Amino acid sequence: MNPLTSSAIYFTLFSGTLITLFSSHWLLIWVGLEMSLLAIIPILMSKPNPRSIEAASKYFLIQATASMILMMAAIINFYNTGQWSISNTINQLSSLMLTLALSMKMGLAPFHLWVPEVTQGIPLMSGLILLTWQKIAPISIMYQIAPSINYNLIMFMALMSILLGGWGGLNQTQLRKILAYSSIAHMGWMMAIISFNPSLSILNLLIYMMLTINMFMLLYYNKKTSTLALSNSWNKSPLLTSIILMVLMSLGGLPPLTGFFPKWMIIKELVSNNNIILPTLMAIMALLNLYFYMRLIYSTSLTLFPSSNNTKIKWLFENTKITPLISAIAIASTMSLPLTPILSTLY
Amino acid sequence: MTYVTYLLSMLFVLGFLGFSSKPSPIYGGLGLIISGGVGCGIVLCFGGSFLGLMVFLIYLGGMLVVFGYTTAMATEEYPEAWSSNVVIWGVLLLGVGVELMIVLLTILYEQVEVIVEFKSLEDWMVFDVDELGLVREDSMGVAALYSYGSWLMVVAGWSLFVSIFIVIEITRGN
Repeated sequence: MNPLTSSAIYFTLFSGTLITLFSSHWLLIWVGLEMSLLAIIPILMSKPNPRSIEAASKYFLIQATASMILMMAAIINFYNTGQWSISNTINQLSSLMLTLALSMKMGLAPFHLWVPEVTQGIPLMSGLILLTWQKIAPISIMYQIAPSINYNLIMFMALMSILLGGWGGLNQTQLRKILAYSSIAHMGWMMAIISFNPSLSILNLLIYMMLTINMFMLLYYNKKTSTLALSNSWNKSPLLTSIILMVLMSLGGLPPLTGFFPKWMIIKELVSNNNIILPTLMAIMALLNLYFYMRLIYSTSLTLFPSSNNTKIKWLFENTKITPLISAIAIASTMSLPLTPILSTLY
Repeated sequence: MTYVTYLLSMLFVLGFLGFSSKPSPIYGGLGLIISGGVGCGIVLCFGGSFLGLMVFLIYLGGMLVVFGYTTAMATEEYPEAWSSNVVIWGVLLLGVGVELMIVLLTILYEQVEVIVEFKSLEDWMVFDVDELGLVREDSMGVAALYSYGSWLMVVAGWSLFVSIFIVIEITRGN
């Protein structure tokens, strides 16, 4: 893309989400969501082939439908209460429609089917923006309307997301689809706690974003998009194999790593509110996620995948790219668990 | 006067049916013109003469004309009209049936609650609440867009500007 066009489009994407974040008027919130939707479409299609055009069309249709439902919910709220501010409790019908619209935007079950298909059809960097930056705006709106959200509905959707995110990822070998199902499951964890302690949702979002950015950067710098390609990377970039081990285990939520912190806090918060069966089920279903991460680690770092002998004796190495961000983020996303007391007081 | 507004709102819904039953875009454009004109009439009945005429001028006279020309360029040999196949017939009949049902309910019970409560003709009546004299609400609103609402102006202007770039990037195709 022409650098001028590309900078205008990235600026619109950035400012769209910012407008949604700092607005208190429902109309401006909708405007921000539409701006980021419009701006991400050419980013999704940055390599024009039929697959990415199909992915961009699917994304656009679903997000436009969700924006329309959000607009209708805002108008019904205005009709019933006479004002456009987001900081008041909204009535039941608007709250229901808003929850549905925002869960379509975030990829929460039962509106999760677009996430793997869209993520698979687009380049890795576009997938990064889709799975991390585009989640900020809907979750910020959910944070602001959290007192009015119907508890049963959001708990059902959260549980379904964790379940379907785990089950859906079990049969995948394409890395972008694995990360898409991981995103669905993490959205489920975030929405499970939003009625009790919305700050934990934001904290979970931040840690999830850090981990996902880490994964995508590692895959991008080594140009790997499938498990097969990843399993042949042990002699091309041994650093990738070591860091992927730690990052994937952190994504799965294993204890000494950072990814354990959000799950721990969420389970603690749910149990403190006399809700015992739900976090048990959620913790059990997080094992499904962990299974396919461990399968990736198994073929990447822990064992030598079957390959011909030529690839085992490698004498010519590619240019080593300078990747300062990966080292910083890898440490932040795996070793931040001792910072738990500070992180709990951040919001 | 309120009866005219009620009739126009019925025509509005029927016009929407005309294009949401998904015929070919040319026929959809016709449905848009009808419902756009009728919507403008509804705004006029509420006293918003400036905004209603704006809709006619800019929306129907600017955007829909361009839409009509582009669909005329991209037309196909046998476009799908409103009586082409069973699906369109079905959607039309369903839509007209539901509209008829709501109209009958409104006449019989004087109050219909589907999503919002619609109390027949009472909702359409506009009472003169504040007498602002020579100050018209709708044109003052547009003027306010340039003074108090300048942020919205900047945001809307930027979005329109960027959407041209986006559309060109999407349809570039190489």
